[in-house]
Parts: sequence; C-alpha cells; structure tokens
Amino acid sequence: MNVQPDLEFIKYIKGAGGDTLKKCYQCATCSVICPLSKDGKPFPRKEMIWAQWGLKDTLVTDPDIFLCHQCGDCSAYCPRGAKPGDVLGAIRAYAYTFYGWPSGLAKLATSAKNLPILIGIPALVIFVMWLLSGAMHIPTKEHFATHGYQQFFGTWGFKWYAKNIFFIVLFMVPAAGLAVLSTFMGVRKLWRSMSEKAGVNSSFRPSVMQFVTDFLWPSLVEIVKHSRFRECKVNIDRVKGHLPMMLAFIGLFIVTCWSLLKNDVLGLFWPSLHGPLSIYDPIKIMANISAVALIYGAFVLWTNRSKMESEGLSTRTFYNWFLIWEVMAVGVTGFAAEVLRWLGIPTVGYIVYFLHLVAVMMLFMYMPYTKFAHIVYRTTAMAFEKYRESPFAKN
Amino acid sequence: MTDEQGTPGAILVVGGGISGLTAALEAAEVGNDVFLVEKSPSFGGRVAQLNEYFPKLCPPSCGLEINFKRLKANRKIRTYTMTTVKSVTGGPGKYEVTLEIAPRYVNSNCTACGECTIACPDEMENDFNFGMDKCKAAYLPHEMAYPRRYVINKSALSSVGAEAVKAVCKYNAVDLEMKTETVKVQVASIIWATGWIPYDPTKMDNLKYNESDSIITNMMLERMAAPNGPTKGAIVRPGDNNAISSIAFVQCAGSRDENHLEYCSHICCMATFKQMTYVRKQYPDAKIYVFYIDLRTPGKYEKFREARMTDKNAVFIKGKVAQIIPEADGSVTVVAENALTGNKISQKVDMAVLATGMQPSLGVQGAPVTLNMDSSGFVISDNDKAMFAAGCAKKAADVVTTTQSSTAAALKAIQVSRR
Repeated sequence: MNVQPDLEFIKYIKGAGGDTLKKCYQCATCSVICPLSKDGKPFPRKEMIWAQWGLKDTLVTDPDIFLCHQCGDCSAYCPRGAKPGDVLGAIRAYAYTFYGWPSGLAKLATSAKNLPILIGIPALVIFVMWLLSGAMHIPTKEHFATHGYQQFFGTWGFKWYAKNIFFIVLFMVPAAGLAVLSTFMGVRKLWRSMSEKAGVNSSFRPSVMQFVTDFLWPSLVEIVKHSRFRECKVNIDRVKGHLPMMLAFIGLFIVTCWSLLKNDVLGLFWPSLHGPLSIYDPIKIMANISAVALIYGAFVLWTNRSKMESEGLSTRTFYNWFLIWEVMAVGVTGFAAEVLRWLGIPTVGYIVYFLHLVAVMMLFMYMPYTKFAHIVYRTTAMAFEKYRESPFAKN
Repeated sequence: MTDEQGTPGAILVVGGGISGLTAALEAAEVGNDVFLVEKSPSFGGRVAQLNEYFPKLCPPSCGLEINFKRLKANRKIRTYTMTTVKSVTGGPGKYEVTLEIAPRYVNSNCTACGECTIACPDEMENDFNFGMDKCKAAYLPHEMAYPRRYVINKSALSSVGAEAVKAVCKYNAVDLEMKTETVKVQVASIIWATGWIPYDPTKMDNLKYNESDSIITNMMLERMAAPNGPTKGAIVRPGDNNAISSIAFVQCAGSRDENHLEYCSHICCMATFKQMTYVRKQYPDAKIYVFYIDLRTPGKYEKFREARMTDKNAVFIKGKVAQIIPEADGSVTVVAENALTGNKISQKVDMAVLATGMQPSLGVQGAPVTLNMDSSGFVISDNDKAMFAAGCAKKAADVVTTTQSSTAAALKAIQVSRR
C-alpha cells in the first residue's frame, strides 16, 4: 500500500488535542469498549491509524468521526494513553474547518489567538449599527421601565416594521444566513463523499419525504432523547449538562419564533403586544426556564471538562472551550440583561444587552466552524448511518 | 557452614524459587556461605506450579530435582522456609539481617508419612492450585515439595482437628505450640530473588473474571494441566467440569497497559503456545482462538510459534479482547476487533484463558528495606550497596533468562565477599 502521509494534517491533529495520537499501538481495545460503535466495522481504532498515517481525505469523509460523542470510555481503557476520544474530537475540529466556507473565516475560528478578531467583528458591526440607528444613548429610567431593550436601536412611526427589529435583522440574518449556507454546502459535500466512499448506488434515491421520515426524523428523535449519549459510561455526567443545554436551545428557539411572530405580525394589529412580556406570561416563563437551563448546562459541562482536564483524561483545547464560553456568554449576558431591566438600571443594562447581542451573533456566525457544527454534521452522519443500512443504499 | 550467624563473606538470597536456588547454588559451589530464605513452606516457587516448561516441554521436576539434589549435597547453604526478611541494618560487607520464621507446627521429626492429612477433618482453599480445589489444614505443599515436611495451617484447624492430627502422628512431629522465631544473620551482600505474582485478573473489570467460572488465568490452566493438579491433568471447565470444544486465549490481559502492568511480561505468548499443546493433546478437534496485539516469540522461540500456527483448528486474531460476556449456558463470549480486517468479532467459547502477566512480588507486597526499584516494582541492582536483583524480581523473564540473571547476581555477590 502506498501511503502518502499528510504531515500538515498530522501536525494539526496533534495541536488540536490529539497530541497523544502516535501512542496508539492498534490493540483495538477502543473499538470494543466504545458503546456507540456498531458491530460491523467499529471505530475508533481504524481512525487512529488513518490519523497516524495522515489520511486526511479518508477521515473527513468517514461518518464514524461524527458518530463519536467523545464519551471518553475508549480513552479511559486505552492501554497507552492515546486518548482516541480526544483524537476524534481533533479530527472533527479539522473537518469543520475543512467543510467550512468561506475558508478564511473558518480558519479564523480555530485559534484562541484570533479571539480579539472573533469578538471584534460582531462587536464592531453591532456598534456601527447602533451608531447608524441614531438611537445611541442610554434611556431614562421611565423609558427603560416601559420599553426595556425594545427600542435599543430606536423607534420610528412606521408601524409595519419596528425599527429595532429592522436593525437586529440587518446583522443577525446575514450572520445566520452565512452559517446556514456554509453548513448546507458542507453537509452536501459530506453526504456526497460519504455515499461515494460507501459505494452507495444513487440511482434509487429516497424522496424528500422518505428521507425525512426514514432517516432524519429517527435521528432527531435519538438526539432529543440523548439515547446514544446515555450509553457513555465514563463521562455520563456530560449528559447531565448537555441535555438541559440542548432543551434550552429548543426552548429559546421557540421563544424567539414566538417573539418574532408577536412583534412583527400580530403586533401590527394589536399594538399593545409590543413591549416586554410580563414575568407570568407562559412564553416568558419558558424563556426564563430555558435561560436557567442553558446556564446550568454550560456550568455542568464547564466543571466537567475542567475536571477531566485536571485528571489528565482530556487535553485542553480552544475547540472544546470556545463553544462552552460562547454558550455561557449568551446565557449569562441574556439573563443579566433581564435582571438589570427588573432592577431598572439602564446604563449597565444597555451595555450588557450590547454584549448579549455580540455573543448571540458570534454563536450564529461561527456555528459551522466551531464545535457547535456538530448539531448539523452529527445529525447528517446519523441519518447517513441509517441510509447506508437501508434498501436505498443496498440495492 | 558451622556458624549459624554467618561468616564475614556470607550471602543472603531472598526467595527460593528457580532464581534463588540458582543464585544460592552458584555462590555456594564456589565456596561462599549462603543463607537461602523462602517465604512459603517449600522451595521451587512458581516453577513448581508449572505443568511443563517451554520450549522443550519437559516437566518442572526436571530442573527442580537436580537443584534440590545440589542443595542437599551442599553444606555451605543454610536454608530457611516460612521465613521472611524483617529488617536489614549495617552496610555492604557487614549487613545484619533479622529473619522471622513463621511457625510450621510440624517439627523435624516429620517423616512425611501423610497420616496427619488423612486424619485432619478441616479443609481450606488450596492456594497452590489457585483455589481450584481444597486441601487439608495439615498438608504437604505439593507432591514435589522440598523440604519434604508437612505443614499445619493453625488458623484453618478446628480443636477437633488439632486433637486428631496430634493423636495420629506416631513421631511426635506435631507441635501446635510452636512460636514465631527471630534469627539474626551477618552477610556481606543480599540477592533479591523474590519472584513474581500473577497479575490480579479481577482488576480488569471488562474481562469479568469474577463473573464466570469459565474465565481462568494461564497459571490456573497450568495447574489444571499438571498431573498433580486439581483435575489430575484434565483440562475441563471449572464449575461444571465439562469437556470443552472451544477455548480462547486472551493475550496481554492487563499487560502492556498503563492502567495495569505497563510492561510486556515476555512469557505469556510462549505460555499460550505451550498451552495450545496441552489443549490439543486432550482435545484433537477443539477450536482454539488466540487474540493478540503482537505475538512476541523472539529468537529460537520463533520455531515454536511457527509449529503451533500450522494447527488447522487454531485461529489467530490480531485484536485485544476488551470485553468478555458470561453466557447463561456457562460459556463466555469474547469480543474483539480484528485489526487486520476491521471487523468486530464476538466469539462464543467454552472457556477463556486470560494470559495475565508477571507482577514483581515486592511491587505488590512492598520491600522490607529501602531498595532501588523502578516504577513497576522491579528491583534495580545496586553494586555499591551490595544489593542485587535476580530473576523475575529484576525483570519479567522466562526460566532460562532468570537462571542467567541469577548466575550473574551470584557472581556480583561473590565479588563483594572477596572485596
């Protein structure tokens, strides 16, 4: 066999938490211990040798790297301390950059050195927006009490579209749109190369409906239930953080959708719907529970990861921490902004709200290039795993 | 040796297995006085527990018998059984060692007639056979035991049993009032030949040793295959004593593993190939599965391996067994990934043998004095302190290497005596 090792790739993996990679001596303990690995062609032993050999192209098109949930069971039983769990995490980090578009932005999101730029871009954009909106001032206490942050970007007489929403949409939608476009392109590329590698005959393709009912929906059910994640043994505590965090995201997604509907559609007919929600409003209750769950989840994952790292079970990487920091920042600034509104402190409130907007925009914008991308790529791999076993792929 | 306290150039050898015997004899046969100390009631160590040696496949009586004969003939060696080193004071050339002799409860009148065993009503777990059978509380350690003298385990003896063994002994050899004795000896140097302990298989939680009788260790198989073993040489499944039609050897069970023994014990691959021969002799058609990471049979052992790999009913799978599932019918399923094909294998077998490694005894029990030891508990020889390591106390090794290192340690000790 003629192996052309990609030395740059090996160097990247070693620098991204997979520094133990070369310790692996292929005993295959990991493939047996892994609770998520299927019986046919298990992982992560094969991924370890591919990575040692620098077979980048084989790895980025391997669905198994995304099916790994980084339980750490393999790393705990590894006789050599090769930490397959961390190596696969590093390979995923590489894959997100590999599939990420535009590549410049994707690369930017891989290093702590770039944090000033990563924070600076959204901060600058929002600051300029605030400037352009002409509403750049701290409101009076009375104004703050009535409108909260709903006139952060000012207000205008045009009742069909609120000025505040207009400005938020102006930067949040392009940020999220870029992320959606990038992940769409990445997922398409991944799916094609996975199909090609698995030798799937594409002449019998499922309809969109069939794809959703047969492959995507069962995967989503698995994800929401955390049924795979729960099979992890060594770091089962991570489920206790990840599950509330995921449910919080779902909750906040619903809240955001409702808020959009209420302010931008229903508000046109019933102007009284504008303005901060009462604390007893069911949607507000949901929002607050979600916010607490988000902060709690991030806190659990934060402490859990710190513990794993201090015990030497995992290597500290920017990739793993960036997402925890981001989520924590979104949760804490959001919740603090609300508390400051109750307390009626407009100055600090506005600053915190500004930071909240920055944090949310970062989460959107860098989603495809950071660990956050796993929500898309892992879902894709799980759907592909089902597709691969289906009659569509077998015929 | 006439002086019980030792002569200025005397050597203390700690451990009376093949290593200690060799070192003691080599030193004594060139004229040095030697104290040979053994913790258990008889000499021979782990070798005495084997069924056959590799690669010649001869019984251990082969090597031990001649050494016992040399020992008996040599007046330069003073032997102590059931004895441990309590403390060491002084320095190289003039060590004073305190030895503690545990009570045997049988004195030198014993003729090894065996009447006490027959009369004794009390049974206990037989450690020599790794608990696979019972023995009496008054017993001969094993058939080949040297010194050939019975032992009584007083803690396992009932008052009725005590009366029975005392009454039956015609030679007045039973002395249940025997006390622990302390002896001080003067020596110039000390050879540590404290040997090894099979690695505790319960420590690999994924291999479920405790959860099925069908999971045994390589040393247990050795005892089973031995004619003087618990099954009189029949390889059967412990628990139901059924004949087997398939067997899996689990190599590197707890070896080359930083969570267990981080080193390779060097002998387990050869031991498995040897044990394949035992199985094949008794079961010409049994399926044999060997799961390995690497097959390490260096030098002349390559031929031994090649011969066994031609076995049509033997399958070799490159992949470590990382899970064993006890089945309801008494069999077990071993799970591994074949690293050559990338396929996961779940193989149901009647019996699984864990090829566990050698752990240095001092690494488990601790040394009675401050010794230069590595992180695994192997002793590092210290010429300046006249403390030498021999055999498996020095490193995991086969019998041949062990005797060579013992001879080397003896030479070093002799040099100290003549300084």
